[in-house]
Amino acid sequence: MSPATSAAAAVSVMAVAPQAYLVVGTILFAIGLAGALLKRNALSIFLSIELMMNAVNLLFLAYARMRGDAAGQMVVFFVIAIAAAEAAIGLAIFVALFRARQTVDVDKINFLKW
Amino acid sequence: MTYPLWLIPAIPLAGFLVNGLVALAAGWQRASARTAAWREAHPDAGHGDNALRHGDDHGHDDHGPALPYWQRLFHGVVGVGSTGLSGVLAFGVLVPYVRESLASKDGLPAVVETAYHWMSAGPYVLDIAFRLDPLSALMLSFVTFVGTLIHLYSIGYMQNEEGFGRFFSHMNLFMFSMLTLVMANSLPVLFIGWEGVGLCSYLLIGYYYDKDFAVAAGKKAFIANRVGDFGMVLGIFGIFSLFGTVDFSFVDMARQQAVNGGAPLSVYAVCLLLFLGACGKSAQVPLYVWLPDAMAGPTPVSALIHAATMVTAGVYLVARCSAVFVLAPGALTVVAWVGAGTAIFAASIGLAQNDIKKVLAYSTVSQLGYMFLACGVGAFGAGMFHVFTHAFFKACLFLGSGSVIMAMHHEQDMRAMGGLKPKIPQTYWTMMIATVAIAGIPPLAGFFSKDQILGAAFGAGHPALFAVGLVTAGMTAFYMFRLARMTFFGTFRGSEEAESHVHESPATMTVPLWVLAIGSLGLGFLGIPEVLGGHNTLIEFLAPSLAVSHPHEVSNATEYLLMGMSVLVAVAGIALALRWYGAPGATSEVPSVQADAFYRKTGFLGPVVANKWNVDEGIEALVLSPFRKIGNVLWRGFDALLIDGVINASAFMVELTGDLTRFFTTGNVRNYVLTMTLGVLAFTLYVWIR
Amino acid sequence: MNGELLVFAAASAVAIVSALAMLFQKTPVRSVLSLVVTFFALAVLSVLLAAPFIAALQVIVYAGAILVLFLFVIMLLNLTQEAAEKETRVVHRFLSVMGVLALGGILVGVTWKAGNPPVPITTSPNAIPVLGVDGEIPLLGRLLFTDYLLPFEALSVLLLLAVVGALLLSKRRFE
Repeated sequence: MSPATSAAAAVSVMAVAPQAYLVVGTILFAIGLAGALLKRNALSIFLSIELMMNAVNLLFLAYARMRGDAAGQMVVFFVIAIAAAEAAIGLAIFVALFRARQTVDVDKINFLKW
Repeated sequence: MTYPLWLIPAIPLAGFLVNGLVALAAGWQRASARTAAWREAHPDAGHGDNALRHGDDHGHDDHGPALPYWQRLFHGVVGVGSTGLSGVLAFGVLVPYVRESLASKDGLPAVVETAYHWMSAGPYVLDIAFRLDPLSALMLSFVTFVGTLIHLYSIGYMQNEEGFGRFFSHMNLFMFSMLTLVMANSLPVLFIGWEGVGLCSYLLIGYYYDKDFAVAAGKKAFIANRVGDFGMVLGIFGIFSLFGTVDFSFVDMARQQAVNGGAPLSVYAVCLLLFLGACGKSAQVPLYVWLPDAMAGPTPVSALIHAATMVTAGVYLVARCSAVFVLAPGALTVVAWVGAGTAIFAASIGLAQNDIKKVLAYSTVSQLGYMFLACGVGAFGAGMFHVFTHAFFKACLFLGSGSVIMAMHHEQDMRAMGGLKPKIPQTYWTMMIATVAIAGIPPLAGFFSKDQILGAAFGAGHPALFAVGLVTAGMTAFYMFRLARMTFFGTFRGSEEAESHVHESPATMTVPLWVLAIGSLGLGFLGIPEVLGGHNTLIEFLAPSLAVSHPHEVSNATEYLLMGMSVLVAVAGIALALRWYGAPGATSEVPSVQADAFYRKTGFLGPVVANKWNVDEGIEALVLSPFRKIGNVLWRGFDALLIDGVINASAFMVELTGDLTRFFTTGNVRNYVLTMTLGVLAFTLYVWIR
Repeated sequence: MNGELLVFAAASAVAIVSALAMLFQKTPVRSVLSLVVTFFALAVLSVLLAAPFIAALQVIVYAGAILVLFLFVIMLLNLTQEAAEKETRVVHRFLSVMGVLALGGILVGVTWKAGNPPVPITTSPNAIPVLGVDGEIPLLGRLLFTDYLLPFEALSVLLLLAVVGALLLSKRRFE
C-alpha cells in the first residue's frame, strides 16, 4: 500500500478518536505540573517532572499515529534516553545537596535569596 | 619682473614665523639659564620653586637693553626687513598701476589674482584671491609705508624690552593680517584679515602681560571687536543671500542694481550689520570704549594699529561696499549720524584728558567719526582721503608722543611736562607740524581732507552734519594745541631729577618722525579740489572702485565760504587753547585737577567730561551687570538644579527600581516554577484569544 | 463495545488515578510506586497507538531503571516521609492550583475542540505500518541509523557525560 493510503487506513481503523489520547496526555501533564508546584520534597518534584515528560511522550505518539509518521516515535525514543541521563545527574545533585544541607525541602534551600 | 600678489602679505607672515620661533627659543634658553642661576643662589628651595614665582622682574625697565645686540639686530632686521620688502613689492606693483590708471581715461580695471582654491559649495566656488584696484592700492601704499616706518621706530623705542622678539613677531603678524584684509578679493578673505588684526591688537595691547590693566584692556578690545564681528558675519551672510556671492563681484552687481533702481528692505539690514562690524573695528559709538584703554600697549602699537591701519579697516569696508550702501540711503544716514556723533562726543572727552596718549586716542576716535561722516553723505572718496592723511599725521603724533614719553622716562601725564621744546627739538618740530595738520590749517594735509568732508556734508544737503563737523574741528584744534602747549611750552613742571633725564631720541626714532611730518605737510596736495585749481587727483583716482556718487554741486563762492569757515573755527580753537593754557600759572606745579583751566572755565561739565561721560560705568551697569546676573541665575537655577537634577533623578529612579524588584529573587524554586506557569498561562490565553 | 475502546478507557483511568495518587501520597516511596503504575498504563496506551517498541522501552528503561534509581536514592537518603510541618504558603498553593486548573482546562478544551485532522498529511516513506501487519522495528532501526544518526551518536556521548557527572557529583570529596 502506498504510505498515504496506509496511514489513512491506519487512522480509519482506530476505534478511538485520536484526540482522546491527546486529552489524556494533557490531563497527565497538568497533574504533573501540579505536582511540581505543590510538592515540597525535591525528589517528589522531580518525579512530577518525569510524569510531565511521559505525558508529552504520549502526545508525541498520538501525533505520530495521526500523521502516520514515525518521526514522532523517534522523538520519544530520544526523550526516554535523555530523561535517563537527566535523572542520573539530577539525583546525584540531590545527593550532594542532601549531604550539604541535610534536607531536600526546597523551601529551605534558598541560598540565592536577595 | 612680475611676481604674484600673494607675496605681499606672505613676506610679513614669514617674518612673523622666523621672529617668533627665534624669540621662543632664545626666551626658553634665557629662562632656563635664569632658573639655574636662581637655584644656585637658593640651594634649599623646594621642587616647584623657580625664578618666576619669586618675583624675578621680567617686565620692562629702563636699565639698559635686556637682550644682546645680535639678537636685537636680528629681530629688527627681520621685522623691518620683511615689512619693508613687502612694501617694496607693493609699490613695485601699484606704481605702474597708478600711473597707467591715471593716464587712461576711465581708469584701469581691477587686477585679481587667485592664490588658492579654498572651497566649493555646489556650484559656488570661493578662492583665496587678491585684488589690486584703486581702493586697495591706496590702502596698500600707506599701510606698508607707515608700517615700515613704525617698525623702524620700534627698534629704538623697544630696545630695553625683554620681549623684543615677541613684539616684532606680533607686529609682523599684524602686517600680514592687515595686508590680507586690504588686498582681499572677497569678504571671507577680508574677514580672515579682520580677525587677524583683532587678534594682533589683543596680543599687542596685552604686550605687558604682567600688568593687569594691560591684560584687561586687551580683553576689552577683543570683546568689543567681537560684538562688531557678530554684525560683520551676519552682514556677510546677508550679502551672500542678496547677491549670491561674497567676492567683490557683488559690488558690480550692486552698481548695476543702482542703475535699475530700488532695493529691498533686506539691503538696509545688511548695510547696518556691516556697519556694526565697522563700528567695532573703527571704534564708533558705542563700541569705541576699547580704544582709549588700548593705550596700555606700547606706543608704536598705538601708532600703527590704533591710528593708522587697523581702525581704518572699518572705513575701508564701508568704502568697499559703498555700492551696496548707496542702495540703502537710510543706512547711509545712520552711518553719517553715528560718525558725526562719535566725532563730537570723542572730541569733547579729549578736551579734558591729562594723559598724552589718551588725548590722541580720543582724537583718533573723533577723526574716524569724520571718515564715517564722509561716507555717510556719499563722499566715499573724501573719507578715504582723510584715512590717508590721518594715517600720516596721527602716526606722527603718536610716535612723537612716544618720543616725549621716552624722554620723560615713561611719564605720560602732561601735567608733569612743560617746556620741552628746547630739550627735544626734533620731536617738537615734527609734532608741531602734525598738530597743525590735524587742526586743519592750510596748506597742510589735514585741511584738504577735512575740508572735502565738510564741503561734501554741506553740499549733500545736511547743514546739521556740517555744523557738527565744524564744531568738532574747532574742538580738535583746541585740544591739540592744549596738548602742545602743556607739553612743549611754558616751564617744566616735573621734578629736578626727571628734568635731568630728558634727552632726544635716537635716529631710528627721529627719522620716521621726520618722514611722517613731511608726509603730513605735502600729501594734502594730492587732493586739491578744483575750486583751488587742482584736479582732485586722489578722489578721481579712487572713483572707479567706489560707488557712483551724486555730488551736489555747490557754487565756487559757497566753497570758498565753507573753507573760510573751517579755517576760522580752527584758528579760534587754537587761540582759545593758547589763551587758557598760555597764561602764566594756568597749569602750575603738577596742579590738581580743579586748577586745570578747562575745569575752571566749564564748571560742572569738567569732571563729567574728564571721566569720559561715565560711559564705561554706564556700560557696566546697563549691559555687563545684567548679563552677569543672568548668567548666575542660569548657572545656579537652571544648570545646577534642573539639568543636574534631572540626571540625578534618573539615576535615582534606576536605583529605586532595582531596590523594589530585587524582591523577586526569593531563591525559592517553587516560586520560580509558579511564575513560569503563570507566564505560560498568560501566553496561552493570549494565543487562544487571538 | 469495541475492545480497543475498552482497553483505552481502562488504561486511561488507571493512568490518571495513579497519577493523582502519586500527587497525594505522603511518602516518597509510595509516590514512586504510584508512578510505576502510571507508566505501565502509559505503556498500554502506547501499544494502542501502534508503538509497541516504545512501550517496551517505556517499561524497561523508565519504570525499570529510572524509577528504581529513584528508589535507590530515596533509600540512600533515608527520606521517610514528607516534611512534617504544615504548608505555610497559602497564597502560593492557591495560585498554583488556580494556575494549573486554568492552564489544564484551556489546553484540554482546545485539544478536544480541535477535532481530528481531516487527512493524514504526511507522505513520507516513514509511514507507520498498521498494527500487526508489518514489523516496525526495522523501520525504526533504519531511521535511527540514517536520518537520526547524529542525534543517536550524540546521545551516546550524553550518556557518557551523565555517568561521569553523576559520579563526580556524588563523591564525598574531590580527590
